[in-house]
Amino acid sequence: MDRENSELTFDQVAKKYPDFPRTILRKIDTALRGVVLTEKALERAKEEGALFSGISNKPALLFGALFRDGTWVLGLETYLQQLPCKAIRKGNPYILDVLDGKLWLLDGLPRPFAQDKNVNQSLDAHGLPTRLSARQVFPRAKGRGEPVEEIHFVPIPKYYCKKTSRGIPMSEVVNARFPSSLAITVLHCRFDQEKNLGDPAKAVTCKFCFYATPLFRRKEENYTPESLEDIYETVKEALKEEGRWTSIHLVGGSDPRGMHQNGAYPGNLPREIVKDTSNFISRDKPYEKEVEEDIKVLKTLQKYFGTEKIPVRAIASAFPREQLLRLKEAGLSAYNSHIEVWDEKLFAWICPGKAKYFGRQYWIDSILSAVEIFGRGNVSTQLVAGAELAEPYGFKTIEEALESNLECADFFARNGAYTTFCILWVGQGSVFYAEKQKLPPLEYYVKLAKGFNEIRKKYKLNVGFQDYRRWSNFLDTDLARIDHA
Amino acid sequence: MFKLPKEVVDLINDPESIKIVATADEKGNPHCAVKDFFTLLEDGNLAFAEEFEGSQTNVNLVRAIWFAKNVELTVRGKDGTTYQIKGKPYKYFYTGPLFEKFYLAAREKWGPDSELAGVWVITPEEVKNETYEVRKKEEDKKHPFFRHLDRSSVRRTKIQNSKSEISN
Repeated sequence: MDRENSELTFDQVAKKYPDFPRTILRKIDTALRGVVLTEKALERAKEEGALFSGISNKPALLFGALFRDGTWVLGLETYLQQLPCKAIRKGNPYILDVLDGKLWLLDGLPRPFAQDKNVNQSLDAHGLPTRLSARQVFPRAKGRGEPVEEIHFVPIPKYYCKKTSRGIPMSEVVNARFPSSLAITVLHCRFDQEKNLGDPAKAVTCKFCFYATPLFRRKEENYTPESLEDIYETVKEALKEEGRWTSIHLVGGSDPRGMHQNGAYPGNLPREIVKDTSNFISRDKPYEKEVEEDIKVLKTLQKYFGTEKIPVRAIASAFPREQLLRLKEAGLSAYNSHIEVWDEKLFAWICPGKAKYFGRQYWIDSILSAVEIFGRGNVSTQLVAGAELAEPYGFKTIEEALESNLECADFFARNGAYTTFCILWVGQGSVFYAEKQKLPPLEYYVKLAKGFNEIRKKYKLNVGFQDYRRWSNFLDTDLARIDHA
Repeated sequence: MFKLPKEVVDLINDPESIKIVATADEKGNPHCAVKDFFTLLEDGNLAFAEEFEGSQTNVNLVRAIWFAKNVELTVRGKDGTTYQIKGKPYKYFYTGPLFEKFYLAAREKWGPDSELAGVWVITPEEVKNETYEVRKKEEDKKHPFFRHLDRSSVRRTKIQNSKSEISN
């Protein structure tokens, strides 16, 4: 199937796949096209406590929105995380507006937009002009905006308005993600730091990665007793909101540094030594810095919960067996390490950092070791679906890409690990954005979601920490909702 | 929107009435579950709490909301008054004020280790009085010959005569 000439419209895909839930199809489409709020919608968000404006010099933050069935609405990223970037989308964005007292997702010519920082930022992110009438912004749109799905907002967590005893805003200590999850950013990606050393030849950031989100970026290189106390206090405060949270996730990028030759960890050494990653690379104890930070946080959470095993998943780099065992001892329940791209050559091209530290097989071996340690179904990996179609080296057809991704899902599922995929987001700051890479068609994601879900069912794997409400990025795990019984 | 009669509303709001939710799985197999927390919302929709994400009821409701299938709610009062309400799942809340209200109520009733997955909101489309006496009258009128011959309404004269004989 040729990519350019095979794109079906939303209605055509819906007709072709009547067994695919309409809201999940719409979720894919909002991710591909993006969503912009009208003034009335923004006002509604304020009324319903879904806007957080407690961050200085930042536009208000929208916590999120759900379809009627509880499926997370994608495409609101510029409102959710305040990413300082634009994104490449497909076609016109959807519009979120209030009609007859209800919040609707509209497709077609929109009502007037809200003229504030949020909306302008979002329009700008879509490459659309700001401060123009709807018709000027969408000259090719036909008719009035058709209401296609009713939406409701998710309130901002109550703890976001609080500060820790040493005055740190709790919203900066623990980041609420999706409707029901708390995320603690353990560290930021060292691959990105390596790029910033000034030598482009050293750039090893994954090509799709745009993660330069200063909003929740940790200022410290290492967790200190004080910053760990901040986490303790924030989690304690967050859990006062009864019925709100169902899981905690440790997130962050990759830091391949191990111990220095003199036995010290990077955080305890002068900056000029720390700057040179090569001082810390050890095949014996790679990613040791990352593990150390994870363990500090896990022990803090163990103290809070008062149990050995705690409801925490780590989204982390590939760790050797010995380090995985240490994480388990520190209470970790589930482990997720992203392979990102399955095809060997494309992995090396798209994820040069992971290829360098320490190659695809190393990452695969780590995931398989993790299954032995954390148990079948408690380990997962993730693909950035669509990255494998990037030009010029990516797959030329959807079928090839599909085959490769399904092969990945089947391989890991056979070995007790579950593979999920997120929709490629081509955000400013990434290599893919600079290269103007295109997004795959809607139908591609439908086929992937169905295929991944079938594989999960075949191998009887649970979605665990990654279901529709705990980590709502995914599509295949949304489908799992009707297989739980 | 279809409006439920006051008698039905009162029955729903009566904490002592029994509430049953009936759903169907992918193959049409029925599944019924008794629900404790059930209320009528201001907009005329019905809401009830679902305890478990993985329950057959919850799974069937997800399928129903995805593919526009009906579900059925039965409410039965202490005196036997029974209503059956057909409707469609409209929304599922697992966060926000409505969910919080149900969650706290569940905590109060079942204690601090209780679980509540979410709150389903159902839009009623049809209501039927299923109270025995009411249904009997309806059936007698609609199907006058679908009755046993020894019923008092069929053999009224003779039974009355025999009663008077006994009293004499």
